[in-house]
Amino acid sequence: MPLWLREHSWRQTLTAVYLSLPLRGARATAANIFCSEQYLKVSVPPFLFEAVLYAPIDDTNSTAKIGNGNIFFTLYKKEPAMWDSLTLANADKEKLQHLRENAVLKAQEKAKEETKAKKITKQEHKKYALMATMKVEEAERKRIEDLKEKEREKVTKELELWKNQQKDGDKYKSIQTKEELHQEIESLKERKNEKMNKTRIPNEGSSKTRLKSTRGHGSCSIFSQDLKEEQLPAPRAAATIKVNFTPRVFPTALRESRVAEEEEWLYKQAEARRIINSDLSELEDLKEEEKNPDWLKDKGNKMFAMGDYLGAVNAYNLAVRLNNKLPVLYLNRAACHLKLRNLHKAIEDSSKALELLTPPVPDNENARVKAHVRRGTAFCQLELYTEGLQDYEAALKIDPKNKIIEKDAEKIRQLIQGAMQSS
Amino acid sequence: MSAVLGSERPQVVSHVQQALSYTVFDCKWVPRSARLMCLGSAARGTGVIQLYELRGARLEVLREIEKPKPIKCGTFGATSLQQRYLATGDFDGNLNIWNLEAPEIPVYSVKGHKEIINSIDGVGGLGIGEGAPEIVTGSRDGTVKVWDPRQNDTPVANMEPVQGESKRDCWTVAFGNAYNQEERVVCAGYDNGDIKLFDLKTMSLRWETNIKNGVCSVEFDRKDINMNKLVATSLEGKFHVFDMRTQHPAKGFASVSEKAQKSTIWQVRHLPQNRDIFMTSGGSGSLHLWKYEYPAQRSKKDSEGSEMGVAGSLSLLQNVTLSTQPISSLDWSADKKGLCVCGAFDQTVRVLIVTKLNKI
Repeated sequence: MPLWLREHSWRQTLTAVYLSLPLRGARATAANIFCSEQYLKVSVPPFLFEAVLYAPIDDTNSTAKIGNGNIFFTLYKKEPAMWDSLTLANADKEKLQHLRENAVLKAQEKAKEETKAKKITKQEHKKYALMATMKVEEAERKRIEDLKEKEREKVTKELELWKNQQKDGDKYKSIQTKEELHQEIESLKERKNEKMNKTRIPNEGSSKTRLKSTRGHGSCSIFSQDLKEEQLPAPRAAATIKVNFTPRVFPTALRESRVAEEEEWLYKQAEARRIINSDLSELEDLKEEEKNPDWLKDKGNKMFAMGDYLGAVNAYNLAVRLNNKLPVLYLNRAACHLKLRNLHKAIEDSSKALELLTPPVPDNENARVKAHVRRGTAFCQLELYTEGLQDYEAALKIDPKNKIIEKDAEKIRQLIQGAMQSS
Repeated sequence: MSAVLGSERPQVVSHVQQALSYTVFDCKWVPRSARLMCLGSAARGTGVIQLYELRGARLEVLREIEKPKPIKCGTFGATSLQQRYLATGDFDGNLNIWNLEAPEIPVYSVKGHKEIINSIDGVGGLGIGEGAPEIVTGSRDGTVKVWDPRQNDTPVANMEPVQGESKRDCWTVAFGNAYNQEERVVCAGYDNGDIKLFDLKTMSLRWETNIKNGVCSVEFDRKDINMNKLVATSLEGKFHVFDMRTQHPAKGFASVSEKAQKSTIWQVRHLPQNRDIFMTSGGSGSLHLWKYEYPAQRSKKDSEGSEMGVAGSLSLLQNVTLSTQPISSLDWSADKKGLCVCGAFDQTVRVLIVTKLNKI
């Protein structure tokens, strides 16, 4: 039962009510105070103070000051009027309860609204922050663009300048060459005149001398040309250089990242070719169908069915030579060896078959069961019962529903136990 | 483009971009001018030569010439400055030299190869270097042939596979070491990663190596000096810089290699004004500008006392992505530092300006 606090004191003005509540040593925090429009409650266990106010107050603006073992409330009235008393005098229990509930509800609603308002303001703040950062980034980008533009313009201007220089240079050069040509032509003309004068005077001169002199002067004009050509050496004497290339099988270009793949491909090709070619001499006598491993396997199966175990083994041998990656050949050959009581060979073949059946998938379950059973049988016939049992159990694991295997496994177990007991 | 423009790094500024109606395989500046040539293949299977002039912020078409076969490569390297004839190699194996003023009939023409001429280079012209003007062509038929424009029909040098050997495509050729009238060297790169250096004075194979990836482009830093550096670019984004001053009898030339991009590096071109700066263009449409720094000592003695070269180091100055398609051709202007043109397989040719190269 809470202790009711009755020793409160209060005074009022037209607009506000001042309530002082001594706490008698207990400490209060804001959580202990519950206030709504017409209801005020302070609950500091074990003390309880409750007041249904005379008239509604503005609970958002009202304040409570906690300190000095005292809570001092400043409640602002909604309607400025003097109250007869702090609380409603004739409040019966039901009304009180009603009021309390209302108060609580109202408080809850207020709380919800406050949280909503907070959310909205938060979102707005976020948006604002985003806009601000975007603006800043835009400004940065613009700054960089401007710098780039400036560079570009500067460079374009330089280019134009250079181009104009070029053009002027060319013009100047062309003018110069024209002048030079002029001069050359004139000098040539002079020389020609001289030549003519010279040749005219010694008219009786021998043809040789005339020729000499003309040649001498004639070559003046082509002299400059010769000089230029002599500056260039004659075309090289033609020759061939033979070239060897780093050998490469593929016609494509060499890439380091593909080297591994290429090596693998070549290796596989080489292997395939080796297998085909290795027995080529002997196989020449065989007919076309006899070179097909599948046909040979069928032949072997038929011979097994007829009881010709040696013939079946031969057929399987040849098939294996042609294609040593077919597990079924080894399986069947193991069966033949079992019948022939070549137990070691049977074990070998079943093991090889199991190796080839390495990814243990549901597809090759049957084959694996057979392999295990055959190997197990061979072991047992060699009296290696423990190994045999291992194989039978492996077979059972793959195919637990097979009764025959179960029975045989039981037999072997008993044999082992019997052997252990006797020894 | 790099975002840090305030720094002192060279910037690659895209000046003009021109969309073309054909696939451009090669673009070259016309020497001593602001004009450029674009060579390529039109959709109808004919060759196109276009002559542009750089005017303001635009490229204006001056001439458009159509030829029967698509053209793969061209060079001005072997003509004089007055003539400025263009030598081209086409898809059919024909080498032609055109006078652009009168392009109907070639000045020189020969069916040099049985298959497409992949690469062409010229030396001895443009007032650079000494010696006879020569043109070298490398073709898919596995042969590299050197031609003299004054001699018709037969090449002056022919590097062909030994009888019975299966051929490898020659993808690139370059001249070098042409510092006097006799010396000259041809470097050829093949699709199986072979790089071979042929000496034309002694007509022999001087050096060969294999860089494990098909060689897309080789270039000496200068054609007309004693061979200094050779850059070879390849598939798989790698390129090698060889120091060609010191040849070790067994190990050959020292080299440094760099894996710059994930895709093929199509071209390498050295800046004509500074032989230690070069640009590589890649299959992802990007251009990388590199600087080579020489080591403290360029050669040292090995255990047996023979000289061995020491390779230097590379630094990336700038890198920019211009296109989504490979940039297959690149050419610096010899007249204006930093001006270059590049042609890409997205059928555009771009004129770029690289700034701040003086400060390097």
